[in-house]
Amino acid sequence: MEDPRGEGAEGGGDAIVALALTRQFRRQLAVDHVSFRVARGRFFGFLGPNGAGKSTTIRMLTGLLRPSSGDAVIEGARLSGDLIDLKRKIGVLLEELPLYERLTGEEHLLFAARMHGLAAPEARRRTQELLEFLSLADERGKLVVDYSQGMRKKLALACALVHGPSVLFLDEPLNGIDPVSGRVVMDLLRRLTARGVTLFFTSHVLDVVERLCDEVAVIDRGRIVAQGTLAEIRAQRELAGDASLEDVFLKLVSADVTREDLSWIG
Amino acid sequence: MALVGLRFRLEARATLGSRGRALGLVFALPFLALFSALASLGAFALVRVVSRTEPGLLLPALSAIFTFLGLSFALAPLLAGVSATESHDLSRLVAYPVPLATLVASSLVANLVQPSVLALVPPLVALAFALGGPRWPLLVPALGLGLLLTVASAQTVGIALHALSRRRRLHDRVLFAGIGAGLLLSLVPVLMLSRGGASARRALVALVERDIFALSPFGWSARAAVHAGRGDFAPFLGWSAAVLVTTAAALGLSAAIAGRLYRGELDSGEAPARAARARIRLPGAIGALVEKDLRVAWRDPRLKAVTLSGVIGPLLLLFVLGQGSAGGVGPVQLVLVAGMAGVGVIGSNALALERDGLGLLLGFPINRLALVTGKSIAVVVLRAPALLALSVAALLFAGPVTAIAIATVVLVTQVIACAADSYLQILFPVPVPAAGRDPNAPISGSRGLGAAAISLLAMAVTLVAAAPFAFLAWLPEPLGQRGLFVATLPLALAGACAVYFMAASGAARLLLRREPELIARLRGEE
Repeated sequence: MEDPRGEGAEGGGDAIVALALTRQFRRQLAVDHVSFRVARGRFFGFLGPNGAGKSTTIRMLTGLLRPSSGDAVIEGARLSGDLIDLKRKIGVLLEELPLYERLTGEEHLLFAARMHGLAAPEARRRTQELLEFLSLADERGKLVVDYSQGMRKKLALACALVHGPSVLFLDEPLNGIDPVSGRVVMDLLRRLTARGVTLFFTSHVLDVVERLCDEVAVIDRGRIVAQGTLAEIRAQRELAGDASLEDVFLKLVSADVTREDLSWIG
Repeated sequence: MALVGLRFRLEARATLGSRGRALGLVFALPFLALFSALASLGAFALVRVVSRTEPGLLLPALSAIFTFLGLSFALAPLLAGVSATESHDLSRLVAYPVPLATLVASSLVANLVQPSVLALVPPLVALAFALGGPRWPLLVPALGLGLLLTVASAQTVGIALHALSRRRRLHDRVLFAGIGAGLLLSLVPVLMLSRGGASARRALVALVERDIFALSPFGWSARAAVHAGRGDFAPFLGWSAAVLVTTAAALGLSAAIAGRLYRGELDSGEAPARAARARIRLPGAIGALVEKDLRVAWRDPRLKAVTLSGVIGPLLLLFVLGQGSAGGVGPVQLVLVAGMAGVGVIGSNALALERDGLGLLLGFPINRLALVTGKSIAVVVLRAPALLALSVAALLFAGPVTAIAIATVVLVTQVIACAADSYLQILFPVPVPAAGRDPNAPISGSRGLGAAAISLLAMAVTLVAAAPFAFLAWLPEPLGQRGLFVATLPLALAGACAVYFMAASGAARLLLRREPELIARLRGEE
């Protein structure tokens, strides 16, 4: 799977190829030689406990954080090469939701569309459709600063989608979204993969990941500890055939779920 | 005491965590000690001199001084924008089973032992000595009550501002008003010392002589102390009791506002939405970027205040220069001010002002030269008030042709300054707080002092680089050939634009190379 030289990484049907990506923050090694491949059109789940390195990996893959070492190829565009070309192909929803708080939701989406080079009429059309689809149409005139967390999440998702990217990086896209909107978003993501869009998805909601993702990778303390379909990982780890993703995940990250009683709680 | 200790720990951490704040404190402490010593000497000398020469003026003068000090402290949360800092924010403490009165009292105690408040104690003791002689121990508590009232008032204002901040729009307006009021107050000394300030000074003296400040509760402790010094114990007790009652009222008001605030009674529902369909009128990605920047600046109280205050800077400079020269404002002064207004673009910090949006902006696949140019255009448009103010001043003082030439000199300098500033934005971004939040809040990774030093250097370089174009633009004036302006003004502007694009291309390449580092620096990860 790993190709340290990155040779031939652009070829084949892979949308994302990570080649020994490493990131060190001062003395802390956040991501340690992470390598994986994601085939085009796959729904790829990237799982890990808090602080495992998921968001750092996404930020590196999207050109927003320079790796300390290693490289990646996204739809043929190298991270170490032309970043503008790479950014043309991807849509990104970061967990911290970088948004302009003093634009209205509609202005924000329109701005994102125009910055992706869409002509004004097309930008307007897509903006209206996305606002309607994500149930933001009634709130389109409100400033983002007055949006709830769920509305911000939906707006950021709309910004990531507006230019029709071929690879979508979604960091916790369902956090803070109500169940109705969550269902709408999940249906949308399924439709996108059916149309050949590659999805790189992180979430702590493991049953959602189990239902949506074709393949998962689990990262723990900056290292990939497993990758494949759920069935493949079960087989690798000699787990029962009916073990859920949650069981597999807890096993992989060595989470000790039995704790001492807090006697004073009663 | 635990609450007071917690507050100190939070403040110590915030100070030590920010190099700028820690350095500020290192500079401020000796300054405060010096201020305290000088104020003590000044207070002592002032009281002795006035007691000897104008004994009738002592009471009204001290009332006026105490009122000024009290108002300065009470309005400090508004002027300094601290309405959102931890000093007056009890929201994280109300979850604990501690009575609200205890929270308010602990906040008062913590505020009383701030260095800026402690620095006032020696002058108050000196004042007690000067007023009371051997009776000074009696006067110190009276004057201390005044200090307590002052700090309690500041706390009431701070908590009230927190209440207002529950409504985002109101909070924005308060922040905008505070910055504006601070700017106007900073102009007062200049205006008072100017030629036209004589009538203002006379009006102030008249107010003091009529003892109008006797109505101000901030002056009552001084009145109590003066009476105690003279041995008039009945008025001393009366004024002291009045201060005590007012302080209790201020604290009660604090607790009442806090009580309503944290029970959500002061929340005022949702902000209204804009009804009209959004449009981006300017063409292309550059147009979209410029329009976005202008809208964001207009809706961010701090940026709006800075933008509008751009009118004041050049006019104030002209005013000062006009005061210093016998012939008033002439063409030379106008050109000087035009150059200074132009270099004012340096330090725009435009990329850092994207705040959280920087990751989004740099995620767009637009040509980086277009991005740098769009940012520069927005910066120049946001400086339009300064250009307009100076052009109007030039029109009034030197006529329409000179006004156009002056406007061109400003533009030429701004264009060159934008080129230099493009590099500064990328290499030395200074993190800024979120829109509408406390402008003085510590930000991780702050490089304020270094950026200021580099900005000064960039200003010097800009002035040198812009000089030939400014000279070309201005040349027909000393030659007495005003008809030549038709050729020199466009030529100067075109030359400056050519220099801009050469420099901006380099900045765009630099940005493309350093984007991840820029984001990491503003996130405090470097």
